[in-house]
Amino acid sequence: MGSRILTLLHNICSEHSDVKFVFHYREWETDFLRFFRSEINYNISKKAKTLNTSVYKGKKQYSFSITNPSEKQLRNNIDRALAIIDRLPEDPDFVDIEDNQEKGIEEKKVNNIEKVSLAKKIEFLERISQAVDTYDFKIYGTFICNDQTDYIVNSNGVNKKMHNSPIMLDLKAVSEKNEVTVLESFGSEDISSFDLSNFIEQLVRKVHTASKDIVDVGPDNYDVILSPRCMAEFFSYLVWGGLTAAGYDRKTSWFQNKLNEKAFPDSVSLKDDPYYPGIINFAYNSDGHIYNKLSLIDRGVFKNFLVDNYYSHKTGLKKNGAEASCLVMESGEKSLTDLIRGVKRGLYISNLHYMNFINMKETSATGLTRDGTFLIEDGELKKVVNNLRYTVKITDVIKNITDIEDKLYLVPSSDNYGEFGIYSSAMPHVRVSGFKITSSTKTI
Amino acid sequence: MKQIVYDINKKLDLPDVTFSDIRLTSTDNQAIFFEKGVLKHISTSFNSLAIGIRVLINGSWGFAGTDSLKEEEIDSMIKRAVNNARIGSTFRRKKINLKPVKATVGSYHFKPLEDPFLMSDEEKLEYLGKIAKELTLNEKIIYSYIYSIFYRQYKVYANSEGTFVDTTVYDTNPAMEVMASDGERVMSRNYPGHMAARRGGFEVIREYDFPAQTDTIIKEAIDLLTAPEINEEKADLIIKGGHLALQLHESVGHATEADRILGMEISYAGKTFVKPEMLGNYRYGSELVNIYSDSTDPRGIGYHPVDDEGIPGKKVDIIKNGILVNQQTSREVAQELGLEPSSNMKGSFANEFPLVRMTNFCLEPGVGTLSELIKETEKGYLIDFTKTWSIDDNRNNFQFTTEIGWKIQDGQITGIVKEPTYYGITSEFWNSCDRVCGEEEWDYFSTFNCGKGEPGQAMHLSHGLAPARFKNVVVNVKA
Repeated sequence: MGSRILTLLHNICSEHSDVKFVFHYREWETDFLRFFRSEINYNISKKAKTLNTSVYKGKKQYSFSITNPSEKQLRNNIDRALAIIDRLPEDPDFVDIEDNQEKGIEEKKVNNIEKVSLAKKIEFLERISQAVDTYDFKIYGTFICNDQTDYIVNSNGVNKKMHNSPIMLDLKAVSEKNEVTVLESFGSEDISSFDLSNFIEQLVRKVHTASKDIVDVGPDNYDVILSPRCMAEFFSYLVWGGLTAAGYDRKTSWFQNKLNEKAFPDSVSLKDDPYYPGIINFAYNSDGHIYNKLSLIDRGVFKNFLVDNYYSHKTGLKKNGAEASCLVMESGEKSLTDLIRGVKRGLYISNLHYMNFINMKETSATGLTRDGTFLIEDGELKKVVNNLRYTVKITDVIKNITDIEDKLYLVPSSDNYGEFGIYSSAMPHVRVSGFKITSSTKTI
Repeated sequence: MKQIVYDINKKLDLPDVTFSDIRLTSTDNQAIFFEKGVLKHISTSFNSLAIGIRVLINGSWGFAGTDSLKEEEIDSMIKRAVNNARIGSTFRRKKINLKPVKATVGSYHFKPLEDPFLMSDEEKLEYLGKIAKELTLNEKIIYSYIYSIFYRQYKVYANSEGTFVDTTVYDTNPAMEVMASDGERVMSRNYPGHMAARRGGFEVIREYDFPAQTDTIIKEAIDLLTAPEINEEKADLIIKGGHLALQLHESVGHATEADRILGMEISYAGKTFVKPEMLGNYRYGSELVNIYSDSTDPRGIGYHPVDDEGIPGKKVDIIKNGILVNQQTSREVAQELGLEPSSNMKGSFANEFPLVRMTNFCLEPGVGTLSELIKETEKGYLIDFTKTWSIDDNRNNFQFTTEIGWKIQDGQITGIVKEPTYYGITSEFWNSCDRVCGEEEWDYFSTFNCGKGEPGQAMHLSHGLAPARFKNVVVNVKA
């Protein structure tokens, strides 16, 4: 299918000299296992072919989307777009569509839907389930394989293809006795990098910690150890709220006048790096611009906004094509044990839940902890704590980083909706002072 | 399209399939988005097809979905659904065995007053474009937008019990927002609020009368730059409109979805503090709190003749005089909890597995008007227009911020406050409800964006309610 539709898209581009086209054609498939209380909830197989098209004439634009497209449908939709486009208002800020011709590394990847069968997934889950069952814990989560090929073709000669076949296992072990929960995950495009024994070992270690007594703690400013998953979440909110050129253009970014200024401690460096080993990577951004490594924060200095073609023209910021799909934080110098050992009284936070901005410009946000919050006393995880609400400025959380672990973990995530993608980032544990807990949920 | 569904239904008559259903949806969508007075985006998709096949084999579900009507693709999907169920059943100890349900055969086709898919694009653009320009006319407004999403979905549902229903619905979701800045701070105001979707076509946009509201939101956004914050520890809050709808949605709606009780949502959306043993005895709210799920009211977006597993639309009390009396359920979940299914099993599109979802989830009206309630309030705040929402994975601890609040002193509104933020524990909060306004203030507030499930689905649903007052709420939370 891919080659037939590609030829058609190229033909359409060359048939029209007075309009420009941007085509994004995606062939997408998922095999999605969802499990609860150590048994299957459902397994979904789902396929979709979607063609998103934007038609440009001067500064006027019309877009449409077709599922499972045929040539007839595409040409009908183009005729409809051409019939109306002259009567649309202009976007004075629009200059031109993407013209980046650079080719990224188009790796040959296997189709993991074929490689990791449902029976294989169940075999893994049975082993994990048995390991935690001894402790009266059941497993809940998802085991997903996607396979996706994207073709980006436009009238400026952009002609890009990328294939991804990510796997994501996101697994929670939940106590049958009191619902205390711990979390372990795996995300990669290479199933051979999945070490089941190590996965089970890590999970069981967490289950042990989760078997401690439960206490409640009150609102206060705490010394906390944030897990790699928490850091991935905080950084992704910081990106959304402040690092895009769209935010800069709206004047709602905290980083508005801070380019090349010191914003965070020297120890904090963050980059968008599709070539970090093991990360789920992308050769191009959604416009077809090559996806290169980009420094965002270098030793505390804010270095770059994420700038796509449209906002580069509009804001004058230099285009870089980065989308923060592959965030990597630089590691520090201490082991996790040493990070925890340094805390007299504080919290270990495994995961965050339902975070939302209160004021995006100020980066103030609220959210909750989940999937294992622990009280640290005298350098050790001593008790399980009810889930807690935090209300913080995310930039203050980054400013208050006092120590960073000497190791990075690959943290998978999924955007979950529609023809969703699976991503990963590489993050360490960090120690943060003055983390503001504003209330307890009084539940686990 | 009905014939395709008939044909698939026949193919699913296999010896080990104990229940099956098929959905087919054909969806039209148009989004128009103006930013800072300029048309940024007009996009359409017509006849987006989706087919979903669900089978129950050996007590385990199998599902497959596609966007292709080609016979070989459908046959391949049937095979995938059956394999998913057969192989999946090896990892299913508690087998699902659905109680039979009497077949429903019928049709429902909603007709909007102004069909947005028959109107010219120019007419829609001209109407919205004029408002978009109005939003830019003050130099303190640094950003503004107005958008509308028009949606039409034709759906066919059929199952192995003989149910066969087709429906057509139209929903429209418009909104506008301005952001004001003094060079340092940024304050926003939107209209019509968080849950602005409604069943209907372009008439929905005219009913909201956006042109009459542009000056108000511009002035309020600018005034908020210098407005005070709430300083008290606790205060009485009158909550109205889309924001009360969101409060109801998050702290009662999701909390009473019974699939969460069984842990089916632990991996993503979370669970609930509600436990099966609370039914019939747990005081969720004050005596004035009566909450129900009603998929029989066609005024709400959650109306349906049958849900997505063949249960006819129903009105079910969830909280009666403050006591938790029922749950929102699917057939599988209801059976496990010893309840009757409540007609709440829905998928956003046919190629998505149905989940327990809110339909029209409503707070029953009390008595009196909003202005009477304000007059009766000695000291407190009237709040609306959601800015931030957050609730824990047990639906017990919530914290919300609205864009604006109006201070009430001795029964009079005396000024505005910026970003009122309040926090609460669900049952304490609903037990502090001492007034719900009457029928004359009651209306539906709806959304296109209730996220749930994995893979995620964004559901269209409604909340019916009138403004209500809550006593002594914690309002001193700051970042």
